[in-house]
Amino acid sequence: METINHPFLYTWSTAQMTNQASPVEEQEKLLDEALNVVKVQAFQMKRCLDKSKLMDALKHASTMLGELRTSLLSPKSYYELYMAITDELRHLELYLLEEFQKGRKVADLYELVQYAGNIVPRLYLLITVGLVYIKTNSNLRRDLLKDLVEMCRGVQHPLRGLFLRNYLLQCTRNVLPDTSEAQNENEGVVKDAIDFVLMNFAEMNKLWVRMQHQGHSRDKERRERERSELRILVGTNLVRLSQLESVTVEDYGRLVLPGILEQVVSCRDAIAQEYLMECIIQVFPDEFHLANLQPFLKSCAELQPGVNIKNIIIALIERLATYSQRNEGNINLSVVLEDGKEQEVQLFEVFSDQVAAITQSRTDMPPEDMLSLQLALLKLAQRCHPDKLNYVDRVLAHTDKICADIHQASGKTHLEHNTAVFKELMKILKLPADHYKNILTLIKLQNYSPLIRHLNHPGRIMIAVHLINDVLETDCLISTPEDVESVLSMLDVLVKDQPDQPTAEPDVEDFMEEQGLLARLIHHFKSDSADRQYLILSAARKALQAGGAARIQHTFPPIVFHAYRLAHTYKQLRETDDMWEKKCQKIFQFCHQTITMLVKAELAELPLRLYLQGALAISEIGFANHETIAYEFLSQAFSLYEDEISDSKAQLAAITLIIATFEQINCFGAENAEPMRTQCALAASKLLKKPDQSRAVALCAHLFWKAPKDGKQWALNDASRALDCVKKAARVAQQCMDGGVQAQLLAELLGRYALLRERGNQMLTTTLIDAVIQKIREELANLDQSEEVEQITKHFHNTLQHLKNRMECPDPDGLGYEGLTLS
Amino acid sequence: MSFFGFGQTADIEIVFDDADKRKVAEVKTDEGKKEKLLLYYDGETVSGRVNVTLRKPGSKLEHQGIKVELIGQIELFYDRGNHHEFISLVKELARPGDLLQHTSYPFEFANVEKPYEVYTGANVRLRYFLRATIVRRLTDVVKEVDIAVHTLCSYPDVLNSIKMEVGIEDCLHIEFEYNKSKYHLKDVIVGKIYFLLVRIKIKHMEISIIKRETTGSGPNTFTENETVAKYEIMDGAPVRGESIPIRVFLAGYDLTPTMRDINNKFSVRYYLNLVLMDTEDRRYFKQQEVTLWRKSDKSRLPLHNAHVPQTLSHPSQQMPRQLSASSEDNSNRAISPNNPNIMQRSISPSMNDGEKQNGPSEMEQEQPDVITNKLSNTHIENNQTDEEVDDESAPILEKQIIPEKPPLAEKPQVADKPVIAEKPVLNRPESEASPSQ
Repeated sequence: METINHPFLYTWSTAQMTNQASPVEEQEKLLDEALNVVKVQAFQMKRCLDKSKLMDALKHASTMLGELRTSLLSPKSYYELYMAITDELRHLELYLLEEFQKGRKVADLYELVQYAGNIVPRLYLLITVGLVYIKTNSNLRRDLLKDLVEMCRGVQHPLRGLFLRNYLLQCTRNVLPDTSEAQNENEGVVKDAIDFVLMNFAEMNKLWVRMQHQGHSRDKERRERERSELRILVGTNLVRLSQLESVTVEDYGRLVLPGILEQVVSCRDAIAQEYLMECIIQVFPDEFHLANLQPFLKSCAELQPGVNIKNIIIALIERLATYSQRNEGNINLSVVLEDGKEQEVQLFEVFSDQVAAITQSRTDMPPEDMLSLQLALLKLAQRCHPDKLNYVDRVLAHTDKICADIHQASGKTHLEHNTAVFKELMKILKLPADHYKNILTLIKLQNYSPLIRHLNHPGRIMIAVHLINDVLETDCLISTPEDVESVLSMLDVLVKDQPDQPTAEPDVEDFMEEQGLLARLIHHFKSDSADRQYLILSAARKALQAGGAARIQHTFPPIVFHAYRLAHTYKQLRETDDMWEKKCQKIFQFCHQTITMLVKAELAELPLRLYLQGALAISEIGFANHETIAYEFLSQAFSLYEDEISDSKAQLAAITLIIATFEQINCFGAENAEPMRTQCALAASKLLKKPDQSRAVALCAHLFWKAPKDGKQWALNDASRALDCVKKAARVAQQCMDGGVQAQLLAELLGRYALLRERGNQMLTTTLIDAVIQKIREELANLDQSEEVEQITKHFHNTLQHLKNRMECPDPDGLGYEGLTLS
Repeated sequence: MSFFGFGQTADIEIVFDDADKRKVAEVKTDEGKKEKLLLYYDGETVSGRVNVTLRKPGSKLEHQGIKVELIGQIELFYDRGNHHEFISLVKELARPGDLLQHTSYPFEFANVEKPYEVYTGANVRLRYFLRATIVRRLTDVVKEVDIAVHTLCSYPDVLNSIKMEVGIEDCLHIEFEYNKSKYHLKDVIVGKIYFLLVRIKIKHMEISIIKRETTGSGPNTFTENETVAKYEIMDGAPVRGESIPIRVFLAGYDLTPTMRDINNKFSVRYYLNLVLMDTEDRRYFKQQEVTLWRKSDKSRLPLHNAHVPQTLSHPSQQMPRQLSASSEDNSNRAISPNNPNIMQRSISPSMNDGEKQNGPSEMEQEQPDVITNKLSNTHIENNQTDEEVDDESAPILEKQIIPEKPPLAEKPQVADKPVIAEKPVLNRPESEASPSQ
């Protein structure tokens, strides 16, 4: 045996060990210095190894490791130093391993390295040598592991201890016993590995937690940042545990999890608890979690007040939900009840109970977190138990209760906009909507609608808009009166005034948009059965009529149009439904009532148009007694025109529509037609502005001369009155002061002349047309060039071109333009 | 006749029997150098030959007699002139007469009692030497040869641990435990520190081994303290409830057995000093005497360099652990000082307190050393129920560590509980591995 002086005897570094942290700029310098020492010593160590001078090599290794005793480096810099040093230690390890495998052993190396005076280098060397011993003789494995993890207690400095133990963990990662039964008990079994890692974990966690309580409170932020940089070191323990392949579910439940949880709960450090619980969820397999849900969740309830339990549980729920989905819900979950019996339960049930327990026990939990938990539960219910709507409903009911509690606590009746709770509740409400994409499912959830009412007014509008958009997107039909009622009651906020709505006028554009959506929704109230469709419409109207003038003007038109369409449907069904005529009458009665309601809401133009539309529909359907009803509709429209419409433009538009409608309706006999067209002509001539008058009167010509239908002339055609109308129009046009307007009116009139003539009114002679043409030319000649004039000229020329074409190739059925000369 | 060197003179050489087979031991000389000397134990016969070589063969050497002496003496450096001989044995080799030729005289000091171990300290030296003298009328021809003597002793397996709770009120309370109070020179100190209360910012903790050499008596007492070893056992600040393991291998340090009141001239005692250092560099410490003893090295192989850790175990030595009658006696004896009425200045009875030093042959029988494969035993577990011992006088530097409780607080030692389980075992994976390979 070689005689050497022991390399470590009396080596006692005098390096100052202080706890002061250096400013950032100094870190680099310090690290550089340390790395330089490492480089030099590592080089020397390797040289000695090459020369087989083990003792000298160990001495250099020890000096190199001495750099890890520093207190001056930040965790980041210390990590770099650690990496550099452990990298070099690999050389030593490989050398020793090679020597040992060759059979050349160094006596008492394990003891030898323990003479190092300083504990940090000593333990690094001990671990390195211990690893070599384990690798070359597995008989020592169990005892050495136990010894190493125990000896590491000597380093109580958090940073140094964490890295030391991390080194231990790294070194042993491939040598941990991983069999459930060993032939040689000294080799250890997986239980020893579990004990080893758990102990290391507990110690590391203690060190990590301790960092929080050292130093000034003003450095708290920095400390917490540093801690979060180091957390991976602690978490690695759990990863290692999860990598032990022979750990069974039973082992996990009996040894691993209780060990971890005990440490996590007892460390009473929020940062650690939050991180480690998440770690547990992430690193262990789903089967393990499933089998041990209760203890895990129970521990969650025992965590520190500052811990964001919500995130932990949500993470777990999401993991298991995904797992359950993967397995198509075939999870057998048995739970030990209080009486000790095992019972198979649904995943949801377990979570639901535990979450309820947690929210109850943790009174400090912010309400938004409680809602987040409910959200997670909701996801779970939807994903894992798609067939169990009652689970979803249960979550909603619970949420409802939480919201009620929130109101009680805050003294307000609704959740304020854009608060955290508001956002959470919004998510909860949107989740089933987006999941089912079917409002019919939502109305089956008894607690869904009530839940919406917890939102404040803008919130309710948001969710209502969201729901409607869903319906529109998915093109889903609501086909029973009951559903319609439910849906509309769910969308209450859009349907009628709310007690809590803002007193200020709502933004008109927004309001219109919302009501527009609601109107679009109404189009989805559709049933295949006509009778039921009627009931639907009645129900809808009943619900919607509470909305007031502002709303019904948007919501009633679709109902009315629905009704008209329904009447058409009945017409199609006339072969099978004997009662169709009666039903049609009833429908139009319904429409009449509806429109009257609009009239009562002091609307004019809209009901006018609806009446006209109704009249058109009636005339088309032609059921019994239809003429009277059509007349009623038309006259209602006309009286609206007379009584309610005062704006001249609106008047012109309205009279135009009335005339057009009348022109389209063919059901009137002379008895009904005569007063109507006379009244129209009268009304037209009473318009205030001359151009309006001229145009309206010109239109009236169509009341007296309709286009032939099916080759037959209308029985009530009156050529001379039509001529009177156009003549009057021309006269009125010429009364206009403005030459341009005159020209324009005449140009338009020319078209009407031509149209009426082509429709067979012979009284509109070519002479008359020629006169108009000459008049227009005259007027145009007097006008200065302008854009307007150009347009009129163009219009005029187009008409002339038309006449020319007709002259060249005349319509065989209509009247030609013989005798007209166009120059 | 031999005035001015003209007369006949002779060279003396002392040759020991078995010199080539006998172990040697390194012993420090006066000048601090190390010297390899033949090693003898108590009761061993010292024999050999004295060879007298005449410088001038042919002419006769007149002498008044030739003798050889075996001397054990203590030299106190402050009293250079006076050597205290505690052994002085003489053998006459030749009566007065003339020597005509080279002559060889056999000698034998049979079964010499050698009660003390050789020692060279700061102020004192204990040595054994053989002196062959050719007595002449004017100047004697003298030859001295030193020998080394090691005293062996055996302590039983069942030894008390040292367990104590100490502290500074409301500041620091610790409980420390060393697995034994007596360690042999190649032993391992195994222990732990348990922190009951920590309100100071501790930076690190170390154990040092202090050698205290006391020489003289009365007003002429000299005390010399030397820190033989300094060993960091903890880095950083622990919190309440931490327990820190201690494991110190003694083999690597330059230690001697504890010597108490050697011939009323000097003592060498060893103390374990537990030192805690706080962030302001204040030191808190507690000293505890331990007894060091030399264990027989049965293998009879030549001694290795004492300063390199040795492997003591051999497969053949692994005999089953058993409690012999004598070790039970010893355990009883060891307990007696822990009677609360006795102040615990020294924990164990003095080595020369009635107990005969065992010779090597006796050692072999008593050798209870069992080397197990269990590393786990090298840690003291918390559930140990050894008695507490307390020391009322601790040297204090800056802060006094007041013994937390008076000796009354001690828990009674459970005498019949075999403390075997706590027996520390030399932690030598290397040698354990050897049988299997």
